[in-house]
Amino acid sequence: MIQGKGRWASVMLPALFLVAFLVLPLLLMGVMSVRPRLQGGIFNTDWTPTLDHYQTVFESGSFLPLLGTSARIALLVGCLATLLAYPLAYFLVFRAGRRASVLLVLLILPFWTSYLLRVIAWKIILGSNGAINSFLLYSGMIEEPSPLLLYNRSAVVVTLVYVWLPFVALPIYAALLRVDRSWLEAAGSLGATRRQTFLKVTLPLSLPGVVAGFLMVFIPTVGEYVAPILVGGTRGSMYGNIIETFFGDGINWPLGSALAFIMLGCVLVVVVIAVKTLRVDRMLEES
Amino acid sequence: MSKHALAFVAFALMLAACAGAASTSTTAETVTGGDLSVLEWAFYEVPEMWVEFGEEYPDSNVEFSFGASDEDIYAKILAGSGEDIIHLYTPYLQFYVDEGLIQPIDTSKLTNWDKVAEGFKESCTIDGEVYCVPWDWGFSSILYRTDMVPEGVDSWDALFDPAYAGHVSMWDSGNAAVTVSSYIMGIDEREITEEQMAEIEQMWIDQKDVNLFYWTDEAELEAAFTNGDVWVAYAWNGAYYRLLSAGVPVAYADPAEGRNSWVGQYAISADAESYDLALAFLDGKLGEQTATNLLVDYAYGHVVPDYYGVVEDTNLVEALSLDDPGILERTNFTVPITQEQLEAFVAMWAEVKAAG
Amino acid sequence: MTSRPGKVLPAYYLLIVFLLYIPLGILFLFSLNEGTALSFPLQGVSLDWYRGMLDNDQLLTAVRNSAIVATVSGLMATLLGTLAAMGLIRLRFRGRSLLLAVALMPLLVPFLILGVALLILFSATGVARSLVTVALAHTVVAIPYTLLIMMARLIGFDRAVEEAAADLGASYVYTLRRVVMPMIAPAMLAAFLVAFTLSFDEFVLASFTVGREPTLPVFIFGQLRFANRFPEVVALASVVMVVSIGLLLVAERLQQAYSGRVTTQRSSGEGASA
Repeated sequence: MIQGKGRWASVMLPALFLVAFLVLPLLLMGVMSVRPRLQGGIFNTDWTPTLDHYQTVFESGSFLPLLGTSARIALLVGCLATLLAYPLAYFLVFRAGRRASVLLVLLILPFWTSYLLRVIAWKIILGSNGAINSFLLYSGMIEEPSPLLLYNRSAVVVTLVYVWLPFVALPIYAALLRVDRSWLEAAGSLGATRRQTFLKVTLPLSLPGVVAGFLMVFIPTVGEYVAPILVGGTRGSMYGNIIETFFGDGINWPLGSALAFIMLGCVLVVVVIAVKTLRVDRMLEES
Repeated sequence: MSKHALAFVAFALMLAACAGAASTSTTAETVTGGDLSVLEWAFYEVPEMWVEFGEEYPDSNVEFSFGASDEDIYAKILAGSGEDIIHLYTPYLQFYVDEGLIQPIDTSKLTNWDKVAEGFKESCTIDGEVYCVPWDWGFSSILYRTDMVPEGVDSWDALFDPAYAGHVSMWDSGNAAVTVSSYIMGIDEREITEEQMAEIEQMWIDQKDVNLFYWTDEAELEAAFTNGDVWVAYAWNGAYYRLLSAGVPVAYADPAEGRNSWVGQYAISADAESYDLALAFLDGKLGEQTATNLLVDYAYGHVVPDYYGVVEDTNLVEALSLDDPGILERTNFTVPITQEQLEAFVAMWAEVKAAG
Repeated sequence: MTSRPGKVLPAYYLLIVFLLYIPLGILFLFSLNEGTALSFPLQGVSLDWYRGMLDNDQLLTAVRNSAIVATVSGLMATLLGTLAAMGLIRLRFRGRSLLLAVALMPLLVPFLILGVALLILFSATGVARSLVTVALAHTVVAIPYTLLIMMARLIGFDRAVEEAAADLGASYVYTLRRVVMPMIAPAMLAAFLVAFTLSFDEFVLASFTVGREPTLPVFIFGQLRFANRFPEVVALASVVMVVSIGLLLVAERLQQAYSGRVTTQRSSGEGASA
């Protein structure tokens, strides 16, 4: 689909854009992380690089364990969201017929309202005189409003799965689109059951979309900080909250940058391992 | 291009058109080529908040840009956003002075300076030099539900009381946490030793057992008070006023250690082009009409006590303790701290939040 | 095995959509609430907030700004993502894995960090912050999504179709326009939707790169400090929802009318049978 002299433009254009607006700023942030302190203004060059901030992070007894916890939460959210989204995408591609694009957008629409407002609405649902508790009280299942639904890690997981669910459906939807119906019919006429057809034909073909969807959720969730603030309660903080604390409350950008770089490094390692293991480069070759 | 895509681009444009048609041409303040630029908080850009200046200088163009928090504003100024006037809050004043971002105020040119209450003037004075004009203020104290806490609250350590476990909410601020601890321990937060800092950290780690969540905005806190999740909280008087007006049974403590008061301050940037014009703007902020609007419309205190008579809403009088002239003397004004000190406070707070 | 698959999947879809819209229903209820507290029980019914919202010029301007930024960054991200996907899949070059890694990197960076980094970049290069800088920031973070979606679609895209068109005498451009594009258009739409959605509601990056004109999330966040004006924001959320659904229905009507006149062959999932 790409021919002629223009073909390299297809790669150069995105590459240049990314270098200017992603690589360069990140390099600046790397420089920031070895700066002793943010004094004399941002452009002050009168300082000597130091690894003190990295040392602070490694020596703290709670920052790195929190990174591990955040990664586990992200894993859980990613798996749940992907599992729940798959049937949605399947439905849209194979059962929705001509309505598919409308139903797809119906799924996405809630995300054109503010994330902040939607989470606040969930707080009301989960809260002590919210819908769930009111129902439980009314039906006599409990005698007092349960404080367990909100202000804890579980609330963070539920909220994040809720937020990411439609997003994950999209790449799975896109991947399932390339499953040709005639192949399914062929499999059927060769004697395969619906389940076998799904497991042996549909699922493998949709795998790139599933992997894409999972990564789309997992990686940013490791650094999530808004949901913990809103519904996580006292003990619901994640690693992102610590970074935000340093960039926010305090003007300690150097330490915040160091924390961010450590997280970046860990996630990169995980992704590289995942990519190599799942042979994503092989998937790229299938063309 | 597929019809679907077209439909959606059309939809987005329609949405934009709807919004665009409803709002007329952008308000004059945002047209380029202004004479004064102000880095402000949302809502303070309306003309009611600078009435006197608008009347005296009807031809000048005032442009507003916005920050969402103290550190956001500081970050923007530090990165060189270049506004002439900055609306900051204690205790960030010291940062701006240390970094040379603002210039001293020539109070002799301010017609309203003498009307400002002493405590507020002091909050703007560092080493004898006045660096800002104070304007809005409010209290921080302990807000509590009178029906859940009938015995009342008389000390800051109510925030740590196991009797209220699961119903306490602290503001998510390391600085505020240290301030509260400093009141309880009776020490000056500018002179905290390392041992004291470790003690403070442990205090707040223990406090996690009684704390339900750390609030970050007042709406969240007010909702929690209204539905009874929170009984005792660190709160500003705005929340007190709104809950009173909504009929929720709350009271605002007058703790033995004294309440805290924060002050909003206007400073002039070191590179401001029209110093005298900026001064005139600040002078206007101290005027009566502006003060009235601030008090009545936004329920925040103004630094000139002479104007308090305009407030008729009894809930507001109560919330700001306007009828209690001695209150300001019993109040601890937030002190300006250095960037290093704030960093230490925040590092402590990060450890508290990360701890299991 | 379970009951007829024909019933389960649609039921599941409906259930999820129902769950997705519940918070919106609740928001809608609160926009009709008389008081300002966001909790049950409601304090009375009132349309005051809607009236207030319409007078709220800043609120409406913020919505307009967000729509513009989201559209622009969505289009840019879809374009760049599609180009990159094509290049990564069809071309062989040494930096391939590197380009992929860099293109996916925005996913690893907390927006907070990228926001500050971009702020520094723009200040250093003297670029004034504005809706343009917000759009640039949003494009950067949308590219991983558009790239992944387009890659998932393009992997296994059958070369034979292109070759057949060429054999039949079609020029390269014609093939691209009339053969390839229609086949990948639904995926491009999906990519655009993701990028648009990402941008419309994005707060952190916007708050660092925005200039004098706020986007909607930035505006909303600034309003949170003033709880007494908050319900107007909630009223706006309800209106955006109703308008969106209305436009959606209109688009659906148009689409049905259009496809009633033209029969198109589609090889992928949107076939006729249910």
